[in-house]
Amino acid sequence: MKLDLSGLESTVPHFGTSDGLSHGFPTAPSFDLPITGDFDGFQKEAIQMVKPAKGTTTLAFIFKEGVMVAADSRASMGGYISSQSVKKIIEINPHMLGTMAGGAADCQFWHRNLGIKCRLHELANKRRISVTGASKLLANILYSYRGMGLSVGTMIAGWDETGPGLYYVDSEGGRLKGTRFSVGSGSPYAYGVLDSGYRFDMSVEEAAELARRAIYHATFRDGASGGVASVYHVGPTGWTKMSGDDVGELHYKYYPVTPSTVEQEMGEVSGA
Amino acid sequence: MEAIGNAGSAIGILAKDGVVLVGEKKVTSKLLQTSTSTEKMYKIDDHVACAVAGIMSDANILINTARVQAQRYTFAYQEPMPVEQLVQSLCDTKQGYTQFGGLRPFGVSFLFAGWDKNYRFQLYMSDPSGNYGGWKAAAIGANNQAAQSMLKQDYKDDITREEAVKLVLKVLSKTMDSTSLTSEKLELAEVFLLPSGKVKYQICSPESLSKLLVKVGVTQPATETA
Amino acid sequence: MECVFGLVGNGFSILVADTSAVHSILVHKSNEDKIMVLDSHKLIAASGESGDRVQFTEFIQKNVSLYQFRNGIPLTTAAAANFTRGELATALRKSPYMVNILMAGFDKETGPSLYYLDYIATLHKVDKAAFGLVVAPPNFVIKIVDKDGAREHAWRETVKHETTAPPSA
Repeated sequence: MKLDLSGLESTVPHFGTSDGLSHGFPTAPSFDLPITGDFDGFQKEAIQMVKPAKGTTTLAFIFKEGVMVAADSRASMGGYISSQSVKKIIEINPHMLGTMAGGAADCQFWHRNLGIKCRLHELANKRRISVTGASKLLANILYSYRGMGLSVGTMIAGWDETGPGLYYVDSEGGRLKGTRFSVGSGSPYAYGVLDSGYRFDMSVEEAAELARRAIYHATFRDGASGGVASVYHVGPTGWTKMSGDDVGELHYKYYPVTPSTVEQEMGEVSGA
Repeated sequence: MEAIGNAGSAIGILAKDGVVLVGEKKVTSKLLQTSTSTEKMYKIDDHVACAVAGIMSDANILINTARVQAQRYTFAYQEPMPVEQLVQSLCDTKQGYTQFGGLRPFGVSFLFAGWDKNYRFQLYMSDPSGNYGGWKAAAIGANNQAAQSMLKQDYKDDITREEAVKLVLKVLSKTMDSTSLTSEKLELAEVFLLPSGKVKYQICSPESLSKLLVKVGVTQPATETA
Repeated sequence: MECVFGLVGNGFSILVADTSAVHSILVHKSNEDKIMVLDSHKLIAASGESGDRVQFTEFIQKNVSLYQFRNGIPLTTAAAANFTRGELATALRKSPYMVNILMAGFDKETGPSLYYLDYIATLHKVDKAAFGLVVAPPNFVIKIVDKDGAREHAWRETVKHETTAPPSA
């Protein structure tokens, strides 16, 4: 019988010369360092270049029926659009959502971390954490890392014992309670639509449409935002996803292409 | 506790216009040079003073920490430390030594006399365990129980500082082991307010103390004893 | 630009603060309360980076109430202001808080008072103070708050002096 020992063989390629001297002592794998005098500066720049989800539009607002949360889905690294299908609305738990603007990894990591803390709070206190508490938890963490390069601009939206709650939290340690926020490079455009169309006593459908339209307009004017406009609603029973529409299709919905009347048909040139 | 029972006693009385502290100096030998004018009374801050009974080496450490605490407070808040807080911080230190293994508690009892704007004049007594309390009249050291019961009998509310001095000397003269009360064996300190509103800590000089003793009638005039 | 000011009057002191939360060009909020209650007779108003502002004033608030809880007596406004200054000054060389603070209080003994404390931990007892654009070139509030019009007056006096001086010379 012959044993198959191929699985034990190293698949790592040998580095360095395979002469007799260095046999058995492969040099450690290495890669070239960038040719630059200022390595720290280069590193910082490089990180900035690949930091995704910089250009973003997210928004959230409180109205009669709860909180409406919406976002685009484009991730860009500098000028390069790296993804058109990013989940920028993070589901912390069935009653709470977070939005993502700034560094995607930072946002994702700290939201998951927040999710853990919220669940632990639930287990310890036999009740769900309030939106106020959860946002303060996140703000305190971000504040303790302030000045260390975290990049987070988020909204924590949810429903707790006191009703709907909405907070804006950022990596500078800021934490604001409010009823209407928008974060990201597209936020000025979103604010424009939001502020002009907002009424507290909207129906869920009206609110969802307002949120969707605000995101669409932001993606239209802001090159760094785009993809899909997803809309979530948080009510007393938790969040539900209302819609996720490609903003390209939304464009044709809002501005339908009407067949223009052709003044003159191109005809065959007769007799050539 | 043993050490305090044998130590020179100290008595304090809270009067309506000040606090009086008196201490008995144990003169163990005639050869002993009494270098400092006081050995039982210590000023902790402008507004707090204390009398000691017990192991002096321990007391010096505690007095030092108390002085540091008082200055720290003034540094943080730019105002004098409330008396009770000072006593409490010192008693926290004392308590610590009763709790952690391998350390010997401080063998000291204190009487604190002080003034602060919240509770005006105050008198506190603390023991080696770190217990403390506010008193109208209190005694520590040798025969403190006898002194305490005498104070209980003779103390009256609204006592003036002058009356308190008389009472404190009377009580001490009766509870002291030695027969005659002389100014060399005594220390008297008072905390009171000057007309300007400033807190004054004053130690009675031996000369005026001698006169005082005669006046109170607990000893014969100096000329006769000499 | 943020605007925070306060003044001491006869038997009272007041603090005033704007309520905008601005990030560069965006107004995030226009109902942000920048005045915090320290205890029944003390208020603290702060301007500066929102994270630092909230974090620092809450820290002071909690410490002031801890003091009261521990010691059964409230801090005087002077003590609270000096404590705040100390905390800001120690933080200044570690991780500085970018906050400017006005503290107003009322004490039984000293009556109303107002303390000015800037982000580099300068403490002054004042009877009127302001932070923000109200102090810089336009001096909006200083002009209004200076009830005797000291600055305006001084300026006019100078002008008068200039115009009257030449004939006599």
